[in-house]
Amino acid sequence: MNLLTLVIFLPLLGAVALALLPRDEVGQHKVLALCVSLATFAASLGLWAGFQSTPGAPEFQFVHQAPWLPSLGIGYHVGLDGVALLLLLLTTVLTPVVILSAWNAVTERVKEFLLSILVLETAMIGTFAALDLVLFYVFWEAMLVPMYLLIGIWGSQNRLYATVKFFVYTFAASVLMLLAILYLYFHDGNSFDYIKAREALDVTPEAARWLFLAFAVAFAVKVPMFPLHTWLPDAHTEAPTAGSVILAGVLLKMGTFGFFRYALPLFPEAALSYRWAIAVLAVIGILYGAMMSFVQTDMKRLVAYSSVSHLGFVMLGLAALSAEALTGSVYQMLNHGISTGALFLLVGLLYERRHTRRIEDYGGLAKRTPLIAAVFLVVTLSSIGLPGTNGFVGEFLILSGTWLSRLHAPAALAALAAVGVILGAVYMLLLVERLFLGPIRHEENRGLADLSVREGFVLAPMIALILVMGLLPQPFLRPVKPAVDRLVQRFQAAETKLGGEKQVGTVPPAIARAAAPAQAGREGE
Amino acid sequence: MTGFPTASFAALLPVAVLTLGAIVLLLSEVFLVSGKRAYQSALTVAFAAAAAATALLGPRPGPVFEGQAAQDGFAVFVTVIVCAGLALSALVGAAWLGARSSERGEFYALATFAAAGMVLLSMATDLLVAFISIEVMSISTYALAAYLRRGLRPSEAAFKYLVLGAVSSALFVYGSAFLYGASGSTLFSKISAGHGSPLYLVGMGMVLSGVAFKVAAVPFHAWTPDVYEGAPTPVTAFMAAGVKAAAFALLVRLFLAAETGVNARVAAFGGLVSALAVLTMLAGNLLALPQRSVKRMLAYSSIAHAGYLLIGVVSAAVAGARAESVASLLFYLAVYSATAIGAFAVVGVLERRSDGDKEGAQAFDLARFAGLARRRPLLALSMAVFLLSLAGVPPTAGFFAKLYLFRAAVGAGFEVLALVGVLTSALGAYYYLRVILYMYMRPPEVEGEVLSAPSLGVALTAAVLVVLVLGVAAEPLVRLAAAAGGLG
Repeated sequence: MNLLTLVIFLPLLGAVALALLPRDEVGQHKVLALCVSLATFAASLGLWAGFQSTPGAPEFQFVHQAPWLPSLGIGYHVGLDGVALLLLLLTTVLTPVVILSAWNAVTERVKEFLLSILVLETAMIGTFAALDLVLFYVFWEAMLVPMYLLIGIWGSQNRLYATVKFFVYTFAASVLMLLAILYLYFHDGNSFDYIKAREALDVTPEAARWLFLAFAVAFAVKVPMFPLHTWLPDAHTEAPTAGSVILAGVLLKMGTFGFFRYALPLFPEAALSYRWAIAVLAVIGILYGAMMSFVQTDMKRLVAYSSVSHLGFVMLGLAALSAEALTGSVYQMLNHGISTGALFLLVGLLYERRHTRRIEDYGGLAKRTPLIAAVFLVVTLSSIGLPGTNGFVGEFLILSGTWLSRLHAPAALAALAAVGVILGAVYMLLLVERLFLGPIRHEENRGLADLSVREGFVLAPMIALILVMGLLPQPFLRPVKPAVDRLVQRFQAAETKLGGEKQVGTVPPAIARAAAPAQAGREGE
Repeated sequence: MTGFPTASFAALLPVAVLTLGAIVLLLSEVFLVSGKRAYQSALTVAFAAAAAATALLGPRPGPVFEGQAAQDGFAVFVTVIVCAGLALSALVGAAWLGARSSERGEFYALATFAAAGMVLLSMATDLLVAFISIEVMSISTYALAAYLRRGLRPSEAAFKYLVLGAVSSALFVYGSAFLYGASGSTLFSKISAGHGSPLYLVGMGMVLSGVAFKVAAVPFHAWTPDVYEGAPTPVTAFMAAGVKAAAFALLVRLFLAAETGVNARVAAFGGLVSALAVLTMLAGNLLALPQRSVKRMLAYSSIAHAGYLLIGVVSAAVAGARAESVASLLFYLAVYSATAIGAFAVVGVLERRSDGDKEGAQAFDLARFAGLARRRPLLALSMAVFLLSLAGVPPTAGFFAKLYLFRAAVGAGFEVLALVGVLTSALGAYYYLRVILYMYMRPPEVEGEVLSAPSLGVALTAAVLVVLVLGVAAEPLVRLAAAAGGLG
């Protein structure tokens, strides 16, 4: 039995077992789901331990290949590179956290809720692990239904509107990708296999641009990139805490992961012609998301718009196409999953206590709930990229990588993005102030309970990850390096093919050029 | 006796089995001793299974009766779809009619006669044989549509169906005369001899219009919503599965004969059918959007699916992609039949039982689906599976059917048709999902009596299994379809 296949399908098996339990035994359901998700997490640690990040190691590891629909050229083919590995781990960490966080918050139709979460976990892991284009698409679409149910059944007042918008938006964008996948089949030696397709792809530059756009739109909606982000504030706000955490933590990464794994390496020449547009949209997203966060009165909506801003950083790093910025992007994907996931968990805790999401209903909570306030502050600092937290590593790599990249006007883009960092600090710290500092303005807030033991267990892994990833980034950066290097190499090959001036990699910083004029022409790492 | 076409008649065995079954069912009503009728639906299922088995195990000589019919893999595949559709509809019908105390042997007999016509139609390679089969199939379904003579709506449905069906038959037979005039033959294999003459153009146009009525392609679709909504629900299910499969079988054979030896890109009919496909996909999906009656929505959705199937017909004309396209079309037909019967069966379960006339479209209103997940979780789950399959969401059979069909279209060079196909199926997600939304996310609004019967459970379980199993393990059926896609 392949370990990766086991990790993919363990949650689904758990869901089947859960479905067979008697309906009224809610306690059993919760314990079983938690155990299954913890077992999946434990198995995924085996993947981490077994993953080789040395330069000579194979690109994809834990590969499992089996015929699935051979008549149609579709195979079951899974494997992990370093980026997929880390995102898979993020998924397996977040799932038990989410189940534990919903322990008391979800009281209705608990069994269906847990079923949805477990099915969703299989679909998410499968999306990261798939190496067959159709298999990828199947997992990608299979995520929609459980998420649709999570938002639509357990969400708040406006949930029906939000969930339909979420589904139709993502579904409509994905079908174009399906068509592009079908087109690829007939132009890569009749195969849906990703690795074969990447090697044997033979399309005209014009077709490649269309195919890139088809993939890019599907991914851009999921990221979400400005101006395709409008589903996100609704979906995040209306979803239950568990849904928001998974949406922000993992589902948004599907988009950026899709760019990293599919859209960019499959069509490097086309990507080079669109990267400037992507970078500009990313910067607009950063600033727009930050400014929208400023004016929100609903704390969940504020966090949702901050996601638009944060994911803009990731996209900017991907468009910069330098090793540094790409590494930063991958790191930022993980950071955003942890810090925004934790923010949604905290917002959920407050909501459970006060049943309101309006910021003005709070204030001065630090006196009553010091632990929540302290954790909130740590997560906020991670979210705004304070040195010593994980957010700093990612944002720094992206900004410096963009500044030194060969994009048009890299300095301007990096500077504007840096403005986004400052804005982010302002609105997040303002949120902390309005929630926790000052006098208690509402009598209802006096009796609020602080963290319970269960809630402590929910938040502890997040805090631990924030600190560990901030202080010791190496174990997390190491698996990323081979994948990033391979992507850069693909783009270098593409720019050689295109001719003209260099477009990827970094320029040496001015200070280095001044110090060593003889080496000015050489590429900096 | 020399010269007696024993082999030809042997090829007709499935038709014979169904006809015999229909007669037995008719007689069973005459010799009925008690009021118990459960065995009639069981008999129908048995005869359907026997017909399918004879088709599967019997000889496949290819062309029989000097080329007027063909018993090949293609015909066998459609025969099995039709028989499965008949069996499932009979099971649904037993519960549905039983609850309305109107279960009669005639119902099953008519359905079995119709199935015999459909099976014959799938074999037809001659205009006259096709016409006879169409009439056998259609006249039985007119009667079935009018089976429940309570109130105006069923009568209206049956009357509309009869009149428009008669027009389509007239078009077909008149066009056949033109084609005979142009080519001197009624055999599909010979009519392309008339290529180039205006008679041929007019005749082929009329014949194809007649068939377009039967498959409910836009602009010949206007009867579908009214008839589908007004007819008794098991009949609607049978029509969506059987009539559609048989009519598409005819369309494929006819269209391929007409396009033989012609470059598809320049042939007049290729362009015409492509245009029909685009119109059908757009109109079917757009008109389904605003429907509040779930049955009517499914009727429009059947038009939309006819549009997707037309893509398969068009791409089958490209020589290099023929086998692949026909195979994908057969696979799609099989999946759609199971899914549509399942979905209509659930509609039938929830339908208001009393006087359908005053209620009008209310009988199938979305509100009746509200909160179904709490009242009947398994029923809601099966409906959700059918709807997701109709929308083409993986991992259901409907996804692979669309994938297969669109793949064939892209392989044949019809990327634009496939593009329209995927975009319109995204529209479809909206109205299918709305039913799921009502079932899972809204509190119950109507306390309706909900039908529950063992035969219904069997039919629904079978349909759900088909949709789910084909969603994860489609390979065996894909192989069978690929083997049948060669056409003889």
